[in-house]
Amino acid sequence: MAAVSRDKDSADQKLQFAPFSSALEAGFWHQLTQKKLNDYRLDESPKNIKGYYYNGDPVGLPTRLTLEFSAFEADGPSPARCCPVTGTLYNTNTLEAFKTSDKKALLEQQSKEIWEAIQSDAALKDPSLLCSFLLLTYADLKKYHYYYWFCFPALCFSEGIKILKQPVTLAEVFSPRQTSGLQAAYDRLCIDTGTSAVPYFLVKHSEAAVEVALLRHWDSFITDFNKVTVGVYDPCTLPQHPGWPLRNLLFLIASKWGPQLGVLEVLCFRDRTLQGTRNIQHSIVFQVKLPVLEQSDNTVCPKSVGWEKNPKGAMGPRMVNLSECMDPKRLAESSVDLNLKLMRWRLVPSLNLDKVTSTKCLLLGAGTLGCNVARTLMGWGVRRITFVDNAKISYSNPVRQHLYEFEDCLGGGKDKASAAVDRLGKIFPGVVAEGHVMSIPMPGHPVNFSAATVSQAQKDVEHLEKLITEHDVIFLLMDTRESRWLPTVIAASKRKLVINSALGFDTFVVMRHGLKKPKPCDATDSSPSISSSASSSSSTPAEPAHLPAASLFSNIPGHRLGCYFCNDVVAPGDSTRDRTLDQQCTVSRPGLAMIAGALAVELMVSILQHSEGGYAVASSSDDRMNEPPTSLGLVPHQIRGFLSRFDNVLPASLAFDKCTACSQVVLDSYEKDGFNFLSKVFNSSHSFLEDLTGLTQLHQETQNAEIWDMSDDESI
Amino acid sequence: MEEEEEAVPVRTLLANRHISPEMSSCFLDEEKFRQCCQLFLEHSDSLSDGWRWESVKDSHEGYLRKTALGTSRRRSNPDQISEREQQQTSSDPHQEKTSLSLQNNNDGIDDGALCCLREGSSGVVIQYEYHILYSNSYQTPVLYFRASTLDGKSLSLEDVWDSVHSNYRQRLQNGPWDTITQQEHPLLGQSFFVLHPCRTEEFMRPVMQAALEADRQVNYVVTWLSVVGPVVGLDVPLSYCTQVPAVPHCTFNSLHPAAVETSPD
Ligand SMILES: [Zn+2]
Repeated sequence: MAAVSRDKDSADQKLQFAPFSSALEAGFWHQLTQKKLNDYRLDESPKNIKGYYYNGDPVGLPTRLTLEFSAFEADGPSPARCCPVTGTLYNTNTLEAFKTSDKKALLEQQSKEIWEAIQSDAALKDPSLLCSFLLLTYADLKKYHYYYWFCFPALCFSEGIKILKQPVTLAEVFSPRQTSGLQAAYDRLCIDTGTSAVPYFLVKHSEAAVEVALLRHWDSFITDFNKVTVGVYDPCTLPQHPGWPLRNLLFLIASKWGPQLGVLEVLCFRDRTLQGTRNIQHSIVFQVKLPVLEQSDNTVCPKSVGWEKNPKGAMGPRMVNLSECMDPKRLAESSVDLNLKLMRWRLVPSLNLDKVTSTKCLLLGAGTLGCNVARTLMGWGVRRITFVDNAKISYSNPVRQHLYEFEDCLGGGKDKASAAVDRLGKIFPGVVAEGHVMSIPMPGHPVNFSAATVSQAQKDVEHLEKLITEHDVIFLLMDTRESRWLPTVIAASKRKLVINSALGFDTFVVMRHGLKKPKPCDATDSSPSISSSASSSSSTPAEPAHLPAASLFSNIPGHRLGCYFCNDVVAPGDSTRDRTLDQQCTVSRPGLAMIAGALAVELMVSILQHSEGGYAVASSSDDRMNEPPTSLGLVPHQIRGFLSRFDNVLPASLAFDKCTACSQVVLDSYEKDGFNFLSKVFNSSHSFLEDLTGLTQLHQETQNAEIWDMSDDESI
Repeated sequence: MEEEEEAVPVRTLLANRHISPEMSSCFLDEEKFRQCCQLFLEHSDSLSDGWRWESVKDSHEGYLRKTALGTSRRRSNPDQISEREQQQTSSDPHQEKTSLSLQNNNDGIDDGALCCLREGSSGVVIQYEYHILYSNSYQTPVLYFRASTLDGKSLSLEDVWDSVHSNYRQRLQNGPWDTITQQEHPLLGQSFFVLHPCRTEEFMRPVMQAALEADRQVNYVVTWLSVVGPVVGLDVPLSYCTQVPAVPHCTFNSLHPAAVETSPD
């Protein structure tokens, strides 16, 4: 700052003023938005507004003209130690109008008002007229972009103002007694005028006393034109420069009394309270010689300046993008994110939220479970949610399926998959949801009626394969057991994490399918997304499982865990023989789907927090007392809940080498023959899979199938 | 306000547990809140601490408000600032400089203006805004705050923490008053950060109890603010606490000698 002038001859030094920096509080933009929407609408006429400048900043802060939310109440009170500044708001309706408005004319017009106030002596009676501002704005309320440009008009002398005596602090020229005398006199002036800050005043000081007076009392107060001191309430903190408000005062003095004045002394009154102690000693005092005004300056308004430079130091407007704090959609997103971050900051510092929120989830089924899973996923900040369902919403659905309403049932009902997507967007616009109305081919449900049905089934299979490939976690939430078979096979083959949930009347299961080890051949392109290190293992497929009492095993690693079908001794496709939980969503206790849906998501999140992801060793009920493997706790294989007892157990079971869905022979057949193999499964009776896997033979060997069932009173 | 519905007001819990009324000395009714604020403001005025009472138009409601300025240490985090600068540049109105700038070159040159002050040369200036409101649900004061750059753009909570209050971050994470959420200001409808009051009673009770036992006069708002304020960078000069005017009506209800003997738990 001082560096600019230091190299010049000090006798030639010209006074420079620190310009205002515009300072807008967040509330100002909110209020402008309200005004534009409710009051101004398309009215572009100038509006009176109000800002203020503050005296008492610590050194280093820019000299500011601040506009608060209260800026629109032009005659409202100003904060303590602040000088109000009246301004004119020009709010344009279009960016084009903002750009093309004649800034030069606006400045000239405002300057002319100041100049006229000087000529008419109005400014002498009310010196606050000397300091005013213009604000040109355009509010793009679709994008929440606000364009603005401030102008602080200052009348210019045709030549610079010569400094005769460099600024020094008040402490250097005033004795402590004079200092306290000045402070007391200034305070009295404020009380007399009923304001908390008088912007301009006259000073007389001698060893004995310090007096102050209002500008309008010049004639009676000033007796010696060679010893005139003017005071300005100075918002600037720079030791060598006055702030902007002084500038037009000097023009007024030059205009009124210039020719008679010799040296003019300026006292920049600075008033700071630190820890309860008030101080004005850092005020600055200097002497100038005002240029003589040209004759024309008293007949024609002189040149003026004042448009604020932008942050780059160029003459141009500013733009602030407030979409983050004003756009309701952005607000919703940031609030959701913040709540999750707070959970991490406060409770689980090691929580890896990105791993959760970036997970792409495929929900097969948009019924009671699907609705609850989707909502819990949103609670975790998951953004990518895809539904697959072929059903339409019926009258019984909305009371249990929380994404639907009565209206959705009318006219035959909307497709669940698309209605669910619409609702998610309404709940949280930041979600990226997709819906696919399609049926999933099932074992024992022939597709070979016609070429068309075969081709449709093939398309459905390809579509499902594509969806599973594109997502990270596959939720099986359908209401039939058979429909879970195909996605189980595809996901196992593609090494995707599967979370499966099924409901009984008052019992449920939530489980993760075992995640097979990465295939040795295609490590390049399809390493599983839910594993921390694809290189962690030998490439052998799951070891053959030993059948008996699998659930009593402990420490089963993720790649040896069973799937939904592993505990079955019958192939899917024949519901009458199925004795496990399933297929009864509509008659389950209404709270069950919420519990199971929530647990399904929480299980996923816990797995994602484990360093080994889907390969994590299954926690069991016994581990409840041990050090948990993740920041969120246990990572079980299954959660089986018994609502009648309000109890959950955490069994773990091995993959079954004769499983009709995840055994090696099934996966091999699928990977080798693709749709040919699948269509055989769809078209055949369940014995096809049982023969293939060796279940048929097993049946012959043992008559007691009951041991594979997970019955209620099993002790685990 | 979802948060308010979720949490059971602690007073109800206490009432249901038939806890003696003197336990509720940790609560503040609205009238006492106003009285505390009045005394608080008087002291603020004497210090020029900048607090003022804002009344809401056409309503009896209001809140204490203070603004403060600081320079951000955000420069130490180059990623953020460059990202921000990029944002500004990408949607840059200055690219249209020719149409937007002043045509007359002479108007752009001003010998009288000090021009070597570039914004940001001494760090980013941040405006902080603090509001103290009364919560009827919790019967405690609640601190709302936000921070913005000089163009009025609000900072994210992470920015706020990164820029100024790093020494309190640990405390914020571990302390009992660590409940910051983003909420609409109940009187202004604008987005603010809130130090949620659900735990206020928890840390105020021992303080109020101790004051009670020592027969000290305590201004609830002062005591509360000196605990929660520093967490979000709000400086509360010590003299607020040391110069407590002995105003009996600002003590808390049902305090009589018998109450003192009742031990809290
Ligand atoms: Zn299996």
